[in-house]
Amino acid sequence: MKKLLATAVASLAATGALAQTEINGTVDSKCIVMTDTSGVFGNPSPNMLTTDPQNGGVEPVIRYDVIAADFYKAVISYPVEFSSAPALSDVVNWVGDVNVSEVSDTLMSDYDANKVTYNNTHEYNMSVAGSTWFKISSTADYGFAKSLPAGNYTAVILAECIPL
Amino acid sequence: MRALLLLLLASGSAMAHELTPTYPKLTPSYIPGVMSTHVVLWNARQDVSFYKVEVFDADMQPVSFIATGGDLKKVDYLGRAHIEIFVREEDQNKATYICTQSKLKRGSAQRSLVASKVCSKIK
Repeated sequence: MKKLLATAVASLAATGALAQTEINGTVDSKCIVMTDTSGVFGNPSPNMLTTDPQNGGVEPVIRYDVIAADFYKAVISYPVEFSSAPALSDVVNWVGDVNVSEVSDTLMSDYDANKVTYNNTHEYNMSVAGSTWFKISSTADYGFAKSLPAGNYTAVILAECIPL
Repeated sequence: MRALLLLLLASGSAMAHELTPTYPKLTPSYIPGVMSTHVVLWNARQDVSFYKVEVFDADMQPVSFIATGGDLKKVDYLGRAHIEIFVREEDQNKATYICTQSKLKRGSAQRSLVASKVCSKIK
């Protein structure tokens, strides 16, 4: 009889222990846009501003972190106008490009091949979770070999992260 | 002119901008005929203090909305802004994206020139 009671108590205790402990967690999809590296316009000739490193510029790098795959697209637009500049009397011809420079997962290596490009915008489907670094190049050519007026020039890159 | 190194396109340190949740839901608000939802903006961009809140349809066309405290938010570095968005009931099927875009200050002192825009999709 004593043996039977002890077994019953042990069984109850074991059931209780199994039922009580649990850990809950949620992973939310999220996208973080980071400015990773400074971009600088070099001025290799009087009519040109460029981020090309061979011409004294520095190409900016933007990093996207996505926590879950296939939830976001990255949309990056290189500049096609100055946000501030001295008065310009002639047109500025803009050229630019966006490319993947580094990836945290080798499966991201086809991002550039699969991107959609229109106007000055490059769209990437973030189909792999992790970090992706995008390098942006930009060149502004003023008039027909015309000298840019002296002063400060600024141009804005737009980096968007849009859920699918 | 040649020696003039003119412009920084972005500042040096890593700077981030985030909007959660990714898929907020519109629910009836305390005002009849108005739906609302709640998003949280996190600012880790030292160079940015202001963010503009916008609501768009599926074609990225603007949709009328009201955000608590206005559509331009001041968010300190490493701070969070809890934003309540109100949309008319008749626009609830049209409103698709809630976006926050960093606003950059004009002037020579302003060196960071990457405008970040992070959106959430209403489901």
